[in-house]
Amino acid sequence: MTEAGPPQSVSLTIDGTPVTVPAGTLVVEAAKTVDTDVPVYCYHPKLGPAGLCRICLVEIERLPKLQIACNTPVAEGMVVHTHGQKVEDGRRAVMEFLLLNHPLDCPICDKGGECDLQDFSMAYGQGASRLADAKASKPKALDLGPTIVLDDERCIVCQRCTRFDDIITRERSLVVKDRGQRDVIATASGEPYRSNFSGNVTELCPVGALTSKTYRFKSRPWDNHRTATTCTQCSVGCQLFVDERYGTIARTMSVPSDDAISDGWLCDRGRYNIGFYADARRITAPLLRRGEQYVQIGWDDAVEAWAAGLRDALGAAGPQAVGVLGGGRLLNEEIVLLVALMQELGVTNLDWRAGRQRQATPGRYAGTYAELEAAQLILAVGRPPSQTAPVLDLRIRKAVSQRGARYVTYGGHAAGSFVGVTPLRSADDVENVLSGVERVAVVWDGIDLELGARLASAIDGWVARGVSVTTYLSGEANNARGAEALGMVPRSGGLPFTGMLDAAQNGRLRSLSIFGANPVLHHPLGGASVANALERIPFLVVSELFLTETAQRAHLILPARTGFEKAGHVINLAGDVLPVHQAHAAPPGTLADGDMLVALAAELAAEVPGPEDVLARATAALPAATHGFGDAAYSEGVTASKSDGMAAGKPGGGGLRIAVGSDIFAGGGTIWFDETLAELRPDPAATLSPATAARLDVHIGDRLDLLSSSGDDSLQGLVVRIDAGAPDDVVAVIDGLPEAPANSFADGDNVVLGARRAADALEPALVLP
Amino acid sequence: MQSFGGAVMALYRGFATTLQFAFQKKPTVQYPSVRKQHAPRFHGLHELRRYADGKERCIGCELCAIACPANAITVIGAENAPDDRRSPGERFAGRYEIDELRCIFCGLCEEACPTDAIVLTPRFEMADYRRGSFIYSKDRLLVPPDAGVGAPPDERPGGIPADLGWVTEQKSTVDIARGYDATYNGAKLKDEHKGLTLQ
Repeated sequence: MTEAGPPQSVSLTIDGTPVTVPAGTLVVEAAKTVDTDVPVYCYHPKLGPAGLCRICLVEIERLPKLQIACNTPVAEGMVVHTHGQKVEDGRRAVMEFLLLNHPLDCPICDKGGECDLQDFSMAYGQGASRLADAKASKPKALDLGPTIVLDDERCIVCQRCTRFDDIITRERSLVVKDRGQRDVIATASGEPYRSNFSGNVTELCPVGALTSKTYRFKSRPWDNHRTATTCTQCSVGCQLFVDERYGTIARTMSVPSDDAISDGWLCDRGRYNIGFYADARRITAPLLRRGEQYVQIGWDDAVEAWAAGLRDALGAAGPQAVGVLGGGRLLNEEIVLLVALMQELGVTNLDWRAGRQRQATPGRYAGTYAELEAAQLILAVGRPPSQTAPVLDLRIRKAVSQRGARYVTYGGHAAGSFVGVTPLRSADDVENVLSGVERVAVVWDGIDLELGARLASAIDGWVARGVSVTTYLSGEANNARGAEALGMVPRSGGLPFTGMLDAAQNGRLRSLSIFGANPVLHHPLGGASVANALERIPFLVVSELFLTETAQRAHLILPARTGFEKAGHVINLAGDVLPVHQAHAAPPGTLADGDMLVALAAELAAEVPGPEDVLARATAALPAATHGFGDAAYSEGVTASKSDGMAAGKPGGGGLRIAVGSDIFAGGGTIWFDETLAELRPDPAATLSPATAARLDVHIGDRLDLLSSSGDDSLQGLVVRIDAGAPDDVVAVIDGLPEAPANSFADGDNVVLGARRAADALEPALVLP
Repeated sequence: MQSFGGAVMALYRGFATTLQFAFQKKPTVQYPSVRKQHAPRFHGLHELRRYADGKERCIGCELCAIACPANAITVIGAENAPDDRRSPGERFAGRYEIDELRCIFCGLCEEACPTDAIVLTPRFEMADYRRGSFIYSKDRLLVPPDAGVGAPPDERPGGIPADLGWVTEQKSTVDIARGYDATYNGAKLKDEHKGLTLQ
């Protein structure tokens, strides 16, 4: 090569202002540096240029025709005019074409008021159409899927939605079907558009063609009172705009500038699971148990009863007889208060682990999202991040599709990642894919501690070889990392939650307070045994939004507030301390857990830190971890409990094994009590491979029960699904469904078929006349 | 300094004016047994209108609410059910409320309305004992389906018609037979612009 490489930066003039930008920059991006307004429809910084809409015309000197700014790279000495008579004439002509068939239904359009087409019509439109004939009439309110409505008349075919589905999610289900005037956005298969990220297309759509079903006609953009906060659904910690109107949350929107965490996208759980706060089943007054009934009491009485129960337990059997579970769904401030109060009372039985997740701190190699994106090899161990941390998975897809990373999974199933995935057969195979790799990112679900410990020692070996490793822990509870960092873990000699349940069985635990956790549905000991143990506790207090399986066992139910209704901080899985702002007025009668704790401390005359102290501790930077996966300083107590069913069963001989997966729309709390999302919730299903289904003689649509080897029969009425890609002799079920809780089953457990009903033996849904 | 004769002349002119009005037709009436007619474009109580086929004109777009300088209008849109279409198109006003105490009767809502759904009628008598009763919701604003209201007011002969429906019917002050000569200026207008009245 004799030629010099391309210059690193290019100097050009835009609207008379000289600018210097990196070589290869597009004119439309360069124009942003001089604060001029180049209109765009099809161009989006994260989707790249497409050159479809032609609205971004600019004049470049010495070029005879107007050029599109979105697909023209800058060149040395280029002189660009983004405004002027010629440019505006060109844009007016483009607008006239775009508006030819666009209906004038802005008053009923959900986009009206925040619509690019509306804005640019005001700027460049000519006010009247010269079209003599009637506008094309196309279907309106087309049902594109469970979340999205398509108005085909409004579509200007900018293809942002299809390119999002192609470039960002890699799911490639949306296409432009047909051509010319008959083109329509549809799925290639004709199936409903289902994606965990479908809501993003409504934000990308520059017109009102794609709109959200949950926001349909609820509000106009100018009505909304917007609050920037952090999504509290999962541990990714996406930044979020909450739009409130007249005391109802109208919608949530992504924060496009949030490159560090969400990359500007939201998953559908975070976007659409907003209806629960107003559900009629929400508890809005403290409830005290009287036999088989609950009576409504005031907060003063509730706190008094709570304090009396704690005092009784402490007085009768000492701090060892008192336990606290929760923290994974609390804010940092609340965790600080809870830990301080329990320390004051001498209580050491603290734990946040109400579900399968055992660990939340990714250890000494904890990485940032940017490091994950830059990794050459991404190893996901355990449950796929696509279901536990969806937006993190979007970043994995970006790393694979745009930055050439390799994605390898181990232990999980149904990765659902839509990028090339290499599943590892055995743990030793990972050494084969490591050759020549310098940057590795490891995502673990934090469930199987034994696996985590093996992983940690392997990582130490890779680091010793000079490989740069970053680790991530995508767990279940959104603030699990905060709970762990702020001390919501068994303290010196204290029991973990499994130990507390043991103590409860033996009558040694006199009081348990649970904050925002549902162990009956999620704890791997299984609903029956957890419920059995909880019922033996003389005084069980549950702070909850709804009457969950766990709350039903409580003696005192305290109505809590949602993440939209309180303010504080959380720590996401990457260790960022993120603010949560109150976006919505809480229903009267509810209290934030922190306020409950302050009231309880006052009633008990216990000293708790003041507000400044709490805030300082809640927002303090995380200390650097010294441990790795699987050997957190407090995990000893948990290892002992593995004997009672936590350890993954070994693959059985010729029998049927169970694979317990997760789904972002599965759960017994906010998603179960959100009526608007009924269509998104997964059915309790048993997915089998065709060969296994044939061997067991079950067919699609049959209902079957699964029994564990110990006779647990909580999995009942599963709908049989057949998946050609499923492994043989494995039945896959979804964890966390209240209709069929799978929490007593561990991955790989042997199961036997229980009762089954063939599809034709079910009640007929339709009878021909 | 005015002369004596000038002062007498001034007195005479003053009394002459008084005397002249004493023999003219009186503009005051024995309200409420006698009622006057309003100016043609008088801004009174609002009304939500329908198309001739009975569908609501209002599509719940909230443009009136955003145009309202007094922030008196609250609209919350809703979607038409396929088997129960309330308005043409997909959207209708699920809730439509006007706080008439807050309203300044400027008529900007009427101007903003893309479907001529909200109009201001000549009715002005809204006295009540409770503040809450001044918040008019759809049940009082919307004309009944059988009121037979078709064309917008501008398209009707004679301006605002009398068939304004239930609200107007309840407490109507519009006397078509007498026309809009309720005020002095109104009477002059009637003389100057013949054909403006409904007669």
